Amino acid sequence: MVKNHIAKSFTGGIKLNANKNVSSSKTIAEQFIPSKLIIPMSHQFGPDAIPIVKVNQRIKKGELIGEPADKNALAVHASCSGQVTAIEQHQEPIVGEVSSSTCVIIQTNKDDDVSHQKKYWPRDTQTRLNLINQAGIVGLGGGSFPTAEKLNSKSLNCELLILNGAECEPFISCDDVLMREHATEVLRGGMAMMELVGASAILVCIEDDKPEALNAVYDAAGQLNSKLIQIVTLPTRYPAGGEKQLIEAVTGKEVPSGEYPINIGFICQNVGTAYALDRYIQLGEPQINRVVTVTGQGIKNPQNVLVPIGSPISELISFCGGYNDDVSHLILGGNMMGYSLHTDELPVTKATNCILAINKSQEEKSTQIWPCIRCGDCASVCPAKLLPQRIVKAYTNKNFNKLEELGLKDCIECGCCDVVCPSHIPLTASFKNAKYLTEEATTHSLLANEAEMRHNLKKIRLSKEQMKVDRLHAELKSNVRGDNRKSMINDAVNRSRKLRNKK
Amino acid sequence: MNDSRTLLADGLWHKNPALIQLIGICPLLAVTSTLVNGLALGLATIVVLVGTNLVVSLLRHALIPSVRILIFVMIISSLVTTIDILTNAFFYELHEVLGLFIPLIITNCAILAQAETIASRNKLGKSMISGLGSGLGFTIVLVLLGGMREIIGLGSLFSGIEMLLGDSALKLTINLPYEGALIAILPPGAFFGLAALIALRNLLVSKVKVKRI
Amino acid sequence: MQFTITKAPYVKPITSIPIVMRHVLYALIPALAAYIWFFGFGICINILIACIAAVVSEAFMLYLRKQPITQGITDGSALVTAVLIAFSIPPLVPWWIPVIGTFSAIILAKHLYGGIGANVFNPAMVGYAILLLSFPVEMTHWAPPLAEELGYEVLGFWSTIIYALSSSLPIDTNIDAITQATPLDMIKSGIKNNSTITEIRMDPLFGKLGSFGWEWISIYTIFGGLYLLYKGIINWHIPVSVLTSMMIFSALFYAIDSDQYLSPGFHLLSGSTIIGAFFIATDPTSAATSNKGRLIYGFGIGSLAYAIRTWGGFPDGFAFAVLLMNSSVPLLDRYTRPRIYGKS
Repeated sequence: MVKNHIAKSFTGGIKLNANKNVSSSKTIAEQFIPSKLIIPMSHQFGPDAIPIVKVNQRIKKGELIGEPADKNALAVHASCSGQVTAIEQHQEPIVGEVSSSTCVIIQTNKDDDVSHQKKYWPRDTQTRLNLINQAGIVGLGGGSFPTAEKLNSKSLNCELLILNGAECEPFISCDDVLMREHATEVLRGGMAMMELVGASAILVCIEDDKPEALNAVYDAAGQLNSKLIQIVTLPTRYPAGGEKQLIEAVTGKEVPSGEYPINIGFICQNVGTAYALDRYIQLGEPQINRVVTVTGQGIKNPQNVLVPIGSPISELISFCGGYNDDVSHLILGGNMMGYSLHTDELPVTKATNCILAINKSQEEKSTQIWPCIRCGDCASVCPAKLLPQRIVKAYTNKNFNKLEELGLKDCIECGCCDVVCPSHIPLTASFKNAKYLTEEATTHSLLANEAEMRHNLKKIRLSKEQMKVDRLHAELKSNVRGDNRKSMINDAVNRSRKLRNKK
Repeated sequence: MNDSRTLLADGLWHKNPALIQLIGICPLLAVTSTLVNGLALGLATIVVLVGTNLVVSLLRHALIPSVRILIFVMIISSLVTTIDILTNAFFYELHEVLGLFIPLIITNCAILAQAETIASRNKLGKSMISGLGSGLGFTIVLVLLGGMREIIGLGSLFSGIEMLLGDSALKLTINLPYEGALIAILPPGAFFGLAALIALRNLLVSKVKVKRI
Repeated sequence: MQFTITKAPYVKPITSIPIVMRHVLYALIPALAAYIWFFGFGICINILIACIAAVVSEAFMLYLRKQPITQGITDGSALVTAVLIAFSIPPLVPWWIPVIGTFSAIILAKHLYGGIGANVFNPAMVGYAILLLSFPVEMTHWAPPLAEELGYEVLGFWSTIIYALSSSLPIDTNIDAITQATPLDMIKSGIKNNSTITEIRMDPLFGKLGSFGWEWISIYTIFGGLYLLYKGIINWHIPVSVLTSMMIFSALFYAIDSDQYLSPGFHLLSGSTIIGAFFIATDPTSAATSNKGRLIYGFGIGSLAYAIRTWGGFPDGFAFAVLLMNSSVPLLDRYTRPRIYGKS
């Protein structure tokens, strides 16, 4: 029988209006095919893939279009069938900003030719990891960390695999609906991961505001009849789905600062990633699509859509009925940790879990900012147990040592402090900026240190050379002055005598 | 001539011991509950300052550097003792009021600072003028602070003047038509008052600077 | 289509400083009602005068400091200070008492330290302390609670207003006939004269538990405090630790000698214990910020207040206890900093 646990809670956090029913009341729409695809060759982590297709080449769904740059890098596949129209620089959203990278533009057709087929799933761990990289599978929680790299940890002794289905951020429901509809696949993918890392159990963690997903996972676990699957019900509190918070809630242990969960024997994987891995093992399908929540008051028909990677956001939104008139912000991700986009002419990437369109009144922040009154509410909701009020002061004073001491690096940018601050200070935005500035300052000082080291080395080299020259000089001098001197004089006298004698 | 003028100006304004150097504020805060107390202590301090500077300046070539502080303190204390006995003899009531604070002039660092930085390095005339300037500056602050605190705290001015000038001066005492806020003559009032004076001086300085620009 | 760019999170903050201050004012309503019932409407005049003085001085200081004036006034923090001062002074005082108190609170304690959020000391308590030190006579004359029933002379509506504005009383009364020392005062002077507590408490000014009238005001103040706790505006740590330490010390000494030391119940329900624990010590700006720090801070206030009441020179030492603990807050904050997640 499947065991059920109710987790204790983590430190800090807040209760938020979930707003999830808007999108989770419908089933996943799976028939969305955009008219064109913009598939970026870049990855959040690791070197860009090298495009191997040519303009006008016809390609099939699942075909390799970007070869990995080295053997540990990720491949890129076509997510629909069609014809390549261009390989050019195009904007894409990446790690909190919009930047340009090489993209393959594909004009899709409706044929839906599938190139991939079920492959042999080998026994050897390393081969499996290579296959995962070749399938381009990355974590779908939002970080897009290469899954193979995260699972490549047999040497580090993983005890538990944690499947993260908490999905704590408001509005987002893509993991919820995925678990409702594909619980078996998710669990199968999770078991494949568990086998890979040699963990002894899987914990599936789901917040208690998703009873349907919980039931579906229960049933699926019952069918799979594995004693290794355990299900944990989490209290609904943001940010329960944060990796570190989840581990604290489930195991009571804390991930040491600056380290990964694997260092204390845990691996966290998103349920969407497990699903993608299962698709690959069962059908040979590389990671070419993902479930995206399209929601918010600015969207006419909010729902969850299975989106081919590279679909333009504008087409995805038209598929969902288009915008309402008063839409003002387009946000990638949830309303707590997402970031706003200036345009919708951007592709959906593997990190895109949610497209949120909101109107002014929903976002509206007070324009008034009061000074901090030291109420300490921010500190009491901070899941990282930081003191935001002190950090923001150190940031205003540009005191980098203080920032370091107060643990700026441990800030997970969850945004809880902003919500409770009675003075409406933009705390999270300040911390992001502070992190950026600290990094800049460190690189600056690193560069300076490097230059100083080079300079010192040069000084040492020069002084060594100088010493060599000095030694030679000294030798010569001592040769002239020392014991040899008499013999040299004698030699000279003898030479002159010889000359005279010859005459 | 110019030199002595700068020395006086330094003591009164630019390097005022109470407002700028913030030395000797212990008696400053303790006795300025009325104007007369402040004035009396200020006069005593002037006498001690000028006297000390005179003696130290005369002895400056004979000073042994390692024990100079000891010598300064002995000079100061002998002067203070003299004044203590004199006030006890001629202004008995005032002596009762000022009590401990006249002997405590010995430890007033304004005097030691003068002896150390000016008198032990300069000629007689310069030392005495500097001592006079510094003492006057100190006294003015004492009088201002005492006056302020007396007006606010007791609602009177020049109370106790008879202790200095005799009974005929009694009519000099002004009584204002209210009872006063006691806090001004309590210790907190001394701090508030001194802070207000320093702020006022800084304000004047900044105003003057702005004008010059 | 072009969209606006702003920074995350895209959520409305759940509260704001004006809302917090408004709730604090609401929470004082039950106490105010009880106060008016027992002491007449003198407090309303004081509140009105103090509020006007607070707004004027706040605006003036904001103008001097070149800060936005409307925002500073509408945040309501000055009004809370003013109302708390009005609650701590006697109901029957000349108008310049609340004015001087509020001015010193707003100008000295608040704006000289940098305005809202930067004050080291609790402004209301600075104002009260300055008043108590400056005008001990005016500040210790309280009208007795329910004066008429206790057989004291009572000032009428107009006479109260006239007294507040011009400090002159009707010809046939004098201030000693209509006012009394507070019970805490009487205890202090009684014990000095070698009377026992039981003897002193024969006076009608003492109630069942605490001092008559004050005990009921305290109980109504608790309702306001509970409202603040319910609204999440204050944390439980400070009130609980203040009251606990007060209780521990008073129980200890009461057990040793009940003729010399007052009962815990009396200490809790007289003077400013309750309003201090819930409304004054919990001022976030001048209190410790970590929970552990708050407990120590509250414990310090409770024990110091007890010590000053029992052995000090003033009948009620709450204001001084708060100010003393205010000055130890930087130290408390330094040594009670919470451990960061994942750091040992």
